[in-house]
Amino acid sequence: MTEPLEAAEPSASTPPTGVAEELLDVVQSVPGVSAVYPAQPLWQSIAGAALSAVTGEPLPLIGLTDTAGTLAVKARIGVSTPRPAPAVAREVADAIRRHLLPRAAAVEVSVVKVGS
Amino acid sequence: MNYPRDTLECGHSLAELSAYLDTGQIADPAHLDSCPECQAGLASLRKLSALGSELLSSDVADAGSGSDDWMQSILDNLRLELRPGRSIPLQSVHPDDTLWETEGSISALIRSVVDAHPGTAAGKCRLHGDVTTPGTLITVEVEIAVVYGHSMEERADQLREELARTLATHTELAIEAINITVTDVLEEQP
Amino acid sequence: MTGSPAAQHQLDLVPDALLAGRAADGDTAAFEALARRHGPLMRATARRLTGSLADADDVVQETLVQAWKQLDSLRDPAAVKGWLLRIVGSRSIDYLRKRRNHADLDDAENHVDQHTRPRPEDPEGNALSSSRVEALKAALAALPEEQRRCWVLKEFNDQSYEEIALTLNISPDSVRGRLARARITLARRMEEWR
Ligand SMILES: [Zn+2]
Repeated sequence: MTEPLEAAEPSASTPPTGVAEELLDVVQSVPGVSAVYPAQPLWQSIAGAALSAVTGEPLPLIGLTDTAGTLAVKARIGVSTPRPAPAVAREVADAIRRHLLPRAAAVEVSVVKVGS
Repeated sequence: MNYPRDTLECGHSLAELSAYLDTGQIADPAHLDSCPECQAGLASLRKLSALGSELLSSDVADAGSGSDDWMQSILDNLRLELRPGRSIPLQSVHPDDTLWETEGSISALIRSVVDAHPGTAAGKCRLHGDVTTPGTLITVEVEIAVVYGHSMEERADQLREELARTLATHTELAIEAINITVTDVLEEQP
Repeated sequence: MTGSPAAQHQLDLVPDALLAGRAADGDTAAFEALARRHGPLMRATARRLTGSLADADDVVQETLVQAWKQLDSLRDPAAVKGWLLRIVGSRSIDYLRKRRNHADLDDAENHVDQHTRPRPEDPEGNALSSSRVEALKAALAALPEEQRRCWVLKEFNDQSYEEIALTLNISPDSVRGRLARARITLARRMEEWR
């Protein structure tokens, strides 16, 4: 990936390693989140899946893309709770956003499973 | 040997009789009833077919049960990907957040509510209407199977109420109607 | 990912059409119930068609992968069993072509009838019948490949001439002819045997 020529701060151009893992913890600790699915569905990343089968590394669960200083975060979650699933999705987005402060973020959360 | 040639003395062939067994069609059906040779040929082919069924049963028995390990390991290899269906938008607090529920997650939720009722199982379920535009009126169609002997109308009413409650909790859809169709009546298992 | 054990047990009782409808909606538990229900017949068919135990299990697995992807194209959910078996048929034929191209040595350990013999637990009365089945296996093994395929697709899966023709990529007339020749040869063998 090419770095943007006019990156405001060097630190904003590449997601620091470990952020995805931190965010996974953040998402999993929101009450009602029962599972986190690979951010990229398997059928969209056959090459990635094959690679990960070879290297033994799991597919990334939280998707991160840095665009001109704004971090785009993607998470696909399962919700199992008597509390409303939409509220859980909002809390997940909010928790991600607060964890990344003061960095700007665009957060996308998909609920792909509701109930046990 | 009973059949030195494929053609019988009456002029019919075993190939014709073989096709007759599968399709029920032959040029002169009346002949079959009166011709001992054709009768013998048909009997021989039917006996073979019966033996074929025995071989099939024996092979299926040798193949093992579908709940055995071999099938489980095949199923474990499949890694069936969830079918997402349409993306249903949810309201977000922050303008830069985008939140969704997949249509697949909602139909699975509907099935789990139906299945949790004793004596009912869900079939196909559909969300009619543009779920991708908030506020659009949505009609839910659910097919169910009911175990014989349970009052279907009462059951459908209870289910409709429970589905309405569940969908109001877990979605932001504007549900206009929930239509439940009983497509199967199941025999109670002993 | 599957439902509760109780719900899964319940799924074993419901008809094919309902399971197929659910599976097309993305219900993995319903799809697995279908696979368990028809798996033994699929495996038995693939074994007779490929003649190989290992290939047969690969065929069943590939069939299920294809079925999961294409289930929503199935117009009549009640016909799911025949549809699965037609996929098994085509996949088995693909395997035979592949194997012939690679000119693999026949792995005797892996051969379908290598380990099957009259089962000792058969009651006395079934002994004759089971040895007739063994004789049919031998007669079937001696048939030309194309005739055996037609016979298995017809007798095991009850496919029409047109369906068999599509699977084998030959004309329905050829199917009728090969099936007749297979039956005549087998019937003669069985008459001799008796
Ligand atoms: Zn005649």
